[in-house]
Amino acid sequence: MATVSLIELTKTFGDAPAVQDLDLEISDGEFVSLLGPSGCGKTTTLRLIAGFLQPDRGEIKIGREIISSPSIMVPPERRSMSMIFQSYAVWPHMTVSQNVAYGLRFKKLSRSDYDARVMKFLRLVRLDAFKDRYPAELSGGQQQRVALARALVVEPQILLMDEPLSNLDANLREEMRFEIRRLHEEFKITTIYVTHDQAEAMATSDRIALLNHGRMVQAGSPTEIFEHPKTRFVAEFVGKANILTGHLDGGNKLALADGLTIHVARAGEAASHGEVSVCLRPHNILLTADEARARELERAGYNIFPGVVSQLIYFGDVIDYSIALSSRGTLRVIGAPAERYPSGRQVYAAAHPEHCVVVKDG
Amino acid sequence: MAAKVGTIGQTPAGLRLKHWDPSLPVWIGASALLVMLMALPLGAIFTTSLKDEAGVTLSKYAEVFTNRAFLSAIWNTLIVSFCVGLIAVMTGGLLGWLVTRTDLPWKNSVRALVMASFVTPPFLGAFAWTLLAGPNAGALNKLYRTLTGHEDALFNIFSMPGLIFVMALYSFPFVFSMIANVCELIASDLEDAAVILGANKWTTARTITLPLALPALLGGFIVAFLHSLSLFGAPAILGLPAGLHTITTQIWTLFQYPPRLDLAAAFSVPLLLATMLLIALQKKFLGRRGFSTISGKGGEKRLVRLGWARIPIFVVVLLVLSCSVFLPYWILLKAAFSKAWAMPFEWDNFTVQNFYYTLFQYSDTQRAVINTFELGILTATAGTLLATLIAYVTNRHVLRGARFLSFFALAPLVIPGVVLAVGLFIVYSQPPLILYGSVWILFVAFLTKEMPIGYSQAESTFKSIHPELEDASRILGANRLTALQHITAPLARSGLIAAWCFIFIGVIRELSAAILLFTPNSKVISVVIFDLKEEGQVGAISVLGILLLVVSFVIILSVQRLSGREVVSGREQPS
Repeated sequence: MATVSLIELTKTFGDAPAVQDLDLEISDGEFVSLLGPSGCGKTTTLRLIAGFLQPDRGEIKIGREIISSPSIMVPPERRSMSMIFQSYAVWPHMTVSQNVAYGLRFKKLSRSDYDARVMKFLRLVRLDAFKDRYPAELSGGQQQRVALARALVVEPQILLMDEPLSNLDANLREEMRFEIRRLHEEFKITTIYVTHDQAEAMATSDRIALLNHGRMVQAGSPTEIFEHPKTRFVAEFVGKANILTGHLDGGNKLALADGLTIHVARAGEAASHGEVSVCLRPHNILLTADEARARELERAGYNIFPGVVSQLIYFGDVIDYSIALSSRGTLRVIGAPAERYPSGRQVYAAAHPEHCVVVKDG
Repeated sequence: MAAKVGTIGQTPAGLRLKHWDPSLPVWIGASALLVMLMALPLGAIFTTSLKDEAGVTLSKYAEVFTNRAFLSAIWNTLIVSFCVGLIAVMTGGLLGWLVTRTDLPWKNSVRALVMASFVTPPFLGAFAWTLLAGPNAGALNKLYRTLTGHEDALFNIFSMPGLIFVMALYSFPFVFSMIANVCELIASDLEDAAVILGANKWTTARTITLPLALPALLGGFIVAFLHSLSLFGAPAILGLPAGLHTITTQIWTLFQYPPRLDLAAAFSVPLLLATMLLIALQKKFLGRRGFSTISGKGGEKRLVRLGWARIPIFVVVLLVLSCSVFLPYWILLKAAFSKAWAMPFEWDNFTVQNFYYTLFQYSDTQRAVINTFELGILTATAGTLLATLIAYVTNRHVLRGARFLSFFALAPLVIPGVVLAVGLFIVYSQPPLILYGSVWILFVAFLTKEMPIGYSQAESTFKSIHPELEDASRILGANRLTALQHITAPLARSGLIAAWCFIFIGVIRELSAAILLFTPNSKVISVVIFDLKEEGQVGAISVLGILLLVVSFVIILSVQRLSGREVVSGREQPS
């Protein structure tokens, strides 16, 4: 059973804590992303798991065995893990098949077994035609696939990936997301994936753990993270967000600073009264220029924000509006291109209380 | 589960042993050796300079700094080094700019010739210049007399200006490579940005180009100053006949009979402190707003058109290079192949006897050639090994406090050869370890002195090998030493061969430490050249000098081919 448990994991560089009291349980066969801005400690966490760093406090367990703690340190080569690196780390002095075969040197395999395994994985990443090339003769995407095959050929219990797609161009990146997810479905290897790209995390993961300043902020399925962010940081980091602040009465009514009162949804640990922030996703807001329609929505329980279109950017599939509210502030709204409101038009923005989520500051 | 792990509750010490890294003794051993190599001689200098029969004393310093001869040596050194630094900055800076940013003709040849001046040992250049501009028999003076009918000499190389001139010839390449590097990094668009805001050519040069190059110019001045501060050969060959002492020759005199080690030590300390201070200053100039701002992605570089001045400027460049390369090499070749070097070079004056005599008949020179190349190979091999281990430790942070190791590895940069020799002599001429009298003390001296070049070469090699390449091997099952063997070593190979070659070249041309540490059966080529000069054996000296130069050039060219880059300026060749 390759469950990985991080327990109060802490690592400090000099005076700066890189990872602090991190608790995370990754179950067998699960794909978990560590997501966060640069410097949030996600790569440090991954290198702690790989055994390249030793924690200052806390421990890492595989199953029930401790592999890292301030006093115990199983070296990386004895952890039955594989890792894919940001730089791919494909060895330039070895051919594609030598690269892929490398990990098998340390396993006792018969010659025919060995060759068959290498070929199987080269075919899997569609590089069998390139097996005698050197990495310098490959494109970035192909090098990436060499790294992938090299990591998988040893049939690791745990696969670690450190921003594996960040050096690829946008199209290839999208393609590789699906590729990685497909391989995961096929082999069901427990995977820990580090990225700063929320779309990547959404596309690949069973579960996302959001990190900020070395601490875990929220862990949950992509849907949970996106629809019920616990903090303002999560709301703003994952997807686009309008943040409104106001005074919560203890129930579900929020008095905004400018006198408007709206209804909100409340989730879990967020404060039940006092000054709070509310997250509204731009694409969850309806726009209408028709006053009667706005009244209708209000009767259906929607919060209505009257305002004027101050700016719009046409993206083809969507239109990104900035609405200058009559009360105060600006609201970003993503609208369908079918209906287009020109700059200066008086509009009503409508948001359902379900989509107005109270979040913790920070 | 493959990982075999312990349970909680074991003592930390026991666990350390259990998961003990088998490569650890290698790292610790290399580090300890390095620290010892550096700390022993320096420690010996300080203690000897502060100690007499009665105990701790400052009397040695008092004796040194009240003696007029010593004070005038310091004064001479300062004047010479300052002038050399100034001339080197002007010449090297100008040449560096000309070959990188203008349409000067034959730029690659100019670069190659500057490299040749760089490779020429200054003592050899100084010797060649005694043949060229000695007051009586000097070739140029004879030419002058023939042409004008005058009786007196045009140049007297045995003088302060002569000494400054020759030392500057072999110091300017340092500034050249620094300036050439910077000029290549200043993209034209940085200057264009100023032009588009309304600055004219000269305002742009004054406000953009010069300030960007200024740290390198100041740094270059300090490097040239330091270089001449620590030179022994040139001042001994050109200064001593005129009664001019510098600090290094004065220390050497203190080693002559009766040796005054205590005074030599006390006299070495200020030289040591001065170089330390200058290196710190240089770091500051180059470090602060340094090159990071300049190292934009190259950008397009347009060449300045020299117009009508193109040919006259080229002639001036040629003149400088004649002084540092063409004339000295010509006179050395002439002397090596002549029966009488001062006679015109005609058929009945031609001979190869000098070569035969030097390499096969005269046991002193023969022994020196063997010693030199033996020491070169030994030191280069041991030095590369040690430098590689240390660079690995500092680059991959294998040990705690690894940063201090790089300080030790680079420390010899601030130790002039003569000073190092004083320290080593004190340490190794008494029990427990007596090395003085054998070639081994030279080995230790060269190993110490060449450590910075070996270390920085190895360090930059490891820097260019992404640590993740090694991590990738670890996680797939290789331990640290296996990963080194499979991944890092093959990738580092050409860089480390280059380190070997640099150390080798450094060793075979070393004079300033060898001159204090040699004994009759441990002479090396440089020392023999110095000795033969006293005997007036011009032919033999020239043969040895040419041998040194040929070997150096062959090695440098092969390194260049190997690593595909220009060695002297460290410039990446466009691929």
